[in-house]
Amino acid sequence: MTATVADPLARLGALLDRSPAFDPATLAALDRAERFPADACAALDAFGLPAHYVPVEHGGRLHGFGAVAALLRAVARRDLTVAVAHGKTYLGAVATWIAGDPAAAARLGARIAAGAVVSCALTERAHGSDLLGGELTARPRAGGWTLDGEKWLINNATRAELVTVLARTDPGGGPRGFTLFLLDKARLAPGALTPAPKVPTYGVRGADISGIVLRGAHVGADAVIGPVGHGIEIILKALHLTRTACVAMSLGAGDHALELATAFAAETVVAGRPLADRPEVRRVLADAAAALDLAEAAATVAVRAINGLPRELSVLSAVAKAFVPAQVDDLIARLTDVLGPYGLLGPGFRHGAFGRLERDARIVGIFDGSSLVNRNALIDQFRRLARAWRKGARDDAGLAEVTDPDAPPSAFRPAALSLVAGGNSVLAALPDAARRVRATGPAELAGLVDRLVAATGEVHAEMAAFDLRPHAVPPAAFELAERYELCFAAAAGVQLWLRRPVDAPRLRALLVRALDAMGTR
Amino acid sequence: MSDLTAVPTPESLRAWLVDCVADHLGRAPAGIATDVPLTTYGLDSVYALSIAAELEDHLDVSLDPTLIWDHPTIDALSAALVAELRSA
Repeated sequence: MTATVADPLARLGALLDRSPAFDPATLAALDRAERFPADACAALDAFGLPAHYVPVEHGGRLHGFGAVAALLRAVARRDLTVAVAHGKTYLGAVATWIAGDPAAAARLGARIAAGAVVSCALTERAHGSDLLGGELTARPRAGGWTLDGEKWLINNATRAELVTVLARTDPGGGPRGFTLFLLDKARLAPGALTPAPKVPTYGVRGADISGIVLRGAHVGADAVIGPVGHGIEIILKALHLTRTACVAMSLGAGDHALELATAFAAETVVAGRPLADRPEVRRVLADAAAALDLAEAAATVAVRAINGLPRELSVLSAVAKAFVPAQVDDLIARLTDVLGPYGLLGPGFRHGAFGRLERDARIVGIFDGSSLVNRNALIDQFRRLARAWRKGARDDAGLAEVTDPDAPPSAFRPAALSLVAGGNSVLAALPDAARRVRATGPAELAGLVDRLVAATGEVHAEMAAFDLRPHAVPPAAFELAERYELCFAAAAGVQLWLRRPVDAPRLRALLVRALDAMGTR
Repeated sequence: MSDLTAVPTPESLRAWLVDCVADHLGRAPAGIATDVPLTTYGLDSVYALSIAAELEDHLDVSLDPTLIWDHPTIDALSAALVAELRSA
């Protein structure tokens, strides 16, 4: 095989291992000084990572979204701050891939491939996740628009050459009252844009988390992304895509945590024997590995759904974004509980990498919608999902694509993205998948898949019976959403295993982890 | 498959929507006016999409749920739907 030469993931791995910019001591020192990891980002530019952020149809190297997620996960596994800093360009550009006209997308693609940093400015100081509350305004003028207002807590707002900005274009607001613009800072008049200072953060301390202030910023009509008034619809669809990238970064943090804890347990000798010899340490490491497998199954299917199941992406991406960062935070906390007292968190082990990771990982949970926002998006669709489950509605071709990591991704179809999902094919196909496991798999799996099918049926029955009112979502609905997430992740694990039915004990551990977390017996 | 013998009228759609919205809000259908934006009743924009999705299931046709954003009252939505169903 010559794949090692051509495979971008293998080449990236080699860069991360060899480049002095990725030396753990260097990155730890930058974090302590709250300085931006500019050399590491430059090394990723030189490697050509930005071209992987641009779809092939716009001149880049992005075919399937699973591939770019794998690259971001590899960077995050080494350093989450670098992944957050560099990956932002991918997130910042998505709205243009979805709704921009082909010439604008080609221009943006060329800029990114040449190394331009792209940011995305949605949130405001007074409104947080409430996009419809946004006050930054764009008013029409001859040949274009004038923008005024502030965006705040924006990753790369200061470093970016280009910024995707959500602006109010109807004073009355509402879901058709906002429009997206792609601002090219170099084309603005001097003084029209002022960067707001970097905000000191708990984790990812070196990242450029800042803001922009626009005062009478004139842009041409060609700065508008998609139809005027469609900014909310486009950005909600863009978030469905970008959530899967956040999830990939979270998995990279989980990989890093498990790697560090495993090395620490092997290297730390207490009372004459390594910690790794102790059953309680082995158990926590095995649990962490199963949690990561479960998170990975959900993430793998969700990111492949961008190409393969775009009509279901609103649900699958929300589920993955609510589930994966929470799983990773939880596994880091468990590793901390058991290995922290022996010094895992301290500065003496790998330049304090674990303590830093523990801080850094938490921020991914709030990017692109917190777990609460994502669970709420799922809860809004409970009724329809319950109905689809009853009908057994599913897309078999799409399901086959998303559950087979070797299947070539189908072409990205932005027009197929929808703000509401018709169903969840992964869960709809679970009863059939369970039958196949029972028929062909080892006996140890049969009882577990039966319990999973039963638990999934109960979750949908409760969803159907839930008396939901807008604005009064009871805590029980969030608990139900969490169980739905676990059913989905476990069902994804079963589907992926059926494609490559090896290592049954690993699937067994994944299922046990999911069923335990649901509290089923 | 849409049933050609039961093509919905603006009136039948309006009645169905009133019941659906009332059900979501936990209010009596008589208290739902058809000529005011649904946001008047505290239905936020994203939540309103699920009502459009129920409509899609009810009519068994493929609809873009953001139709409810472009036609935010029950009257406007019913009229737009009839036009859309005729053109389909």
